[in-house]
Amino acid sequence: MTGPLQATTLPETLSGLLGLNTNDPLQWFLAALIASALVGTLMLTNTALVIWAKRKITAAFTDRIAINRVGPFGLLIIVADAVRLLSKELIVPDEVDRPAYDLAPLVLASSALLGFAVIPMGNGIQIADPETGLAYVFAVASLASLGLVMAGYASNNKYSFLGSLRAVAQNLAYEIPLVLTGVSVVIFAGTLRLSEIVAAQSETLFTLGGLAIPSWYAFVNPFAFVLFMAANLAEVGRNPFDIPEAPNEIVAGYMTEYSSVYFVLLYLGEFIHVFLGAAIVTTLFLGGPAGPVLPGIVWFLIKIWAVFLFTQWTRSAVPRVRIDQLIEIGWKGMLVLSIANLVLTAVIVGVLV
Amino acid sequence: MSLEEPRDAKPEIGVTDDGLDYDALAALLGDTLLDREDHVTTEGFVVRPDDVQDALRTLKQEAGFDHCSCVTAQEYQDRYESIYHLKKYDDPTHELSVVVPTSRDDPVSQSANDVYRTADWHEREAYDLVGIEYEDHPDMRRILLPETWQGHPLGRDYDQTQPQVVTLREHANPLQEDHMADDTDTMFINVGPHHPATHGVLHLKTVLDGEQVADVEPDIGYLHRCEEQLCQQCTYRHQIMPYPDRWDYTANLINEWSYARAAETLADIDVPEYAQVLRTMSAELSRMAGHFLALGTFALDVYGEFTAIFQYAFRDREIAQDILEDLTGQRMMHNYFRLGGVVWDLPNPREEFFEKTRDFLDDLPAKLDEYHDMITSNEIFQVRCVNTGVLEPDVAKEYGATGPVARGSGIDYDLRRDDPYGYYPELDWDVVTEDGCDNYARVLVRMQEVEESAKIVEQCLDLLEDWPEDERTLQSNVPRTIKPEPDTEIYSAIENAKGELGIYIRSDGTDKPARFKIRSPSFSNLQALPEMSNGEYVADLIATLGSLDIILGEVDR
Repeated sequence: MTGPLQATTLPETLSGLLGLNTNDPLQWFLAALIASALVGTLMLTNTALVIWAKRKITAAFTDRIAINRVGPFGLLIIVADAVRLLSKELIVPDEVDRPAYDLAPLVLASSALLGFAVIPMGNGIQIADPETGLAYVFAVASLASLGLVMAGYASNNKYSFLGSLRAVAQNLAYEIPLVLTGVSVVIFAGTLRLSEIVAAQSETLFTLGGLAIPSWYAFVNPFAFVLFMAANLAEVGRNPFDIPEAPNEIVAGYMTEYSSVYFVLLYLGEFIHVFLGAAIVTTLFLGGPAGPVLPGIVWFLIKIWAVFLFTQWTRSAVPRVRIDQLIEIGWKGMLVLSIANLVLTAVIVGVLV
Repeated sequence: MSLEEPRDAKPEIGVTDDGLDYDALAALLGDTLLDREDHVTTEGFVVRPDDVQDALRTLKQEAGFDHCSCVTAQEYQDRYESIYHLKKYDDPTHELSVVVPTSRDDPVSQSANDVYRTADWHEREAYDLVGIEYEDHPDMRRILLPETWQGHPLGRDYDQTQPQVVTLREHANPLQEDHMADDTDTMFINVGPHHPATHGVLHLKTVLDGEQVADVEPDIGYLHRCEEQLCQQCTYRHQIMPYPDRWDYTANLINEWSYARAAETLADIDVPEYAQVLRTMSAELSRMAGHFLALGTFALDVYGEFTAIFQYAFRDREIAQDILEDLTGQRMMHNYFRLGGVVWDLPNPREEFFEKTRDFLDDLPAKLDEYHDMITSNEIFQVRCVNTGVLEPDVAKEYGATGPVARGSGIDYDLRRDDPYGYYPELDWDVVTEDGCDNYARVLVRMQEVEESAKIVEQCLDLLEDWPEDERTLQSNVPRTIKPEPDTEIYSAIENAKGELGIYIRSDGTDKPARFKIRSPSFSNLQALPEMSNGEYVADLIATLGSLDIILGEVDR
């Protein structure tokens, strides 16, 4: 049941527009490359906006004004900050484990970007639509843990080391509930293909005073939605689960020894990850790019920014839990709940459908 | 508010209805006692340097002196002297100084560490700055100055112009040793001197076992500015008063009172009632400012760096500081107190000042509710703070903990009530205590103290508004030069935002003090940190440090 929304992928559309032959591997590769460049640029630009938005949002939460000097609403701070960060000296400490130290920022940033390859963003913007889309996106997203371990272990710094150990412990504890909750959606939709999961949410759940409520899985199974949001916070390392970097305890965790370009990559990677998490939430629970009046891509961006806003909100208002409490919540709380959710979903779907 | 009766059922030796009976205490010490000295507020019992532990133990166990407030060391022409300023937590007006002279040739004295744990750091400081050595001390090292420092700066022979030549060998990187051992699973880690959580320059030498703290040792002195020596070079009348503002730089104004009280008692200076009310009001505003900051930074430690509470706390601290700026002309370094009064009256027009301050007080309950919503009623916050950083009352007393730290451990001790000064006895307010002994209790104490301070300020405003115009005396008549009698000694303390801030002054007949010693509450409170955090998680170590609310300017002086 391929929905009308995602009939063709972006490379196919591009091939059509540019007159490329999709059967020729070389030309197909070119089309895919252009499509990836477009999506990558879109996501990176989106993330660059975070430099500005995050400060404005946090300021709003904390009764401040924040940046308003450079450009309209301080927007040009993005350019200024980018130049500033890139022009800083790259300090590489003695005795760092060189290849790993250099690769870690790349692994972190690219693993998140890779995930966007299969996310349907509306208006035909989707690079690939494999049958195992959801498995793929979870798999590449968790590659980030590898980057964190590399960064922490290679930095030759005890704070980095502690930070990366915390990150691994945390990711292990939260990846499982995250995936299990994602699987409950798969049981509803009956497919791992992301475009079909989106299409399955376009049906009307019920009508409320003339307003058709779509069967987004956030409405169908709000419990799974809440669970997924919470696990996602831990997955992207945001309050109350930001302990891998917990600046008051371990300075900046795995990022401590990184400066200049490497720091930019880590920082960027972290926010792309937040957006990838948001994109997964959007696709699985919020109907993907679906929405009235506005084009799909706009709805998609609105939805991922809404999820981003939520992470900033928790960051401003929720205390950080302790590492032992975090692990306990993960293994004893979330895991149990997510398994219960999975079993219940399976039973309900099995009985009703 | 009257003094509380000592709660112990067992009568303590020397306690009578009108103060201490020093003869009875002298009889208790018997032969150990060499001589008796007269200090301004108490008596000094002179004991031999090898009888220190016996004498102190007797006084602690039999006479109930459970609070070793301070240890002052000084050098005379013919001898060194350590003075143990003893008090009782039940009644701090019961004071006694134990004076231990040692010869100049061999300045060795017995350590009081076995009797009062707090003597550990105080004696290290005495060794560092004055040069007295303490026998049986567990860890006789320098504390404020670098390990390589030559000479003892407060000693008489110290040449201040002497270059501190340190050989290259001694400049070796102190962190070079990697502290890695083959057979242990622990990790040595330096928290600080530059670390986001130390709120200043504090260095915690920490040994971690996984995520848990196996051992922690605070290393202080990075902010040592020779405040005691600076004060010794200044005249009593005007020159010393600006310095106290720089000790606890989050609640500055109260500190001025410590010097004012000591010097006024020493030189027998009266303070007009009107000035007392002004002092009380400004000190409480300053305490509120300090507690707001403490609350905000504690939230920072528990919540993370982008928390809203920090800004909320700063917003409210700003208002208190604005009011203080209106009053004193300065935001932090107020220099508002004068010996015998305060420097000037409320700003004109007075109505505007009253209105502004009343607005602040009127808004306060709603704001405190907001804080309770955001902080104390938050479940994660409670999980993080309840039963972490536990400081049992008897341990707190051992370490000479005072202020909100002691009151969070259920010790009902507040000098504003127990050793009254200023206008506090005439006003209606309560001492806040909590029995939790943990980080949560300390937060609660500070938040409730803000309420109590607001009560005090409100009553002071009422008084000031109704004060007849021709009776607004700001300062009493104070001689232009103050020269107390030679060899007059006084130790007196006030309650600042962090606890008991004591000043010891010895005069030598000139217009400058011969010895000026500061007993800072944060110094003693910080000393208890290892007791509170060993075995806890790193995150709780940081939270506990935050809840102690130490100010390094005050710790290092």
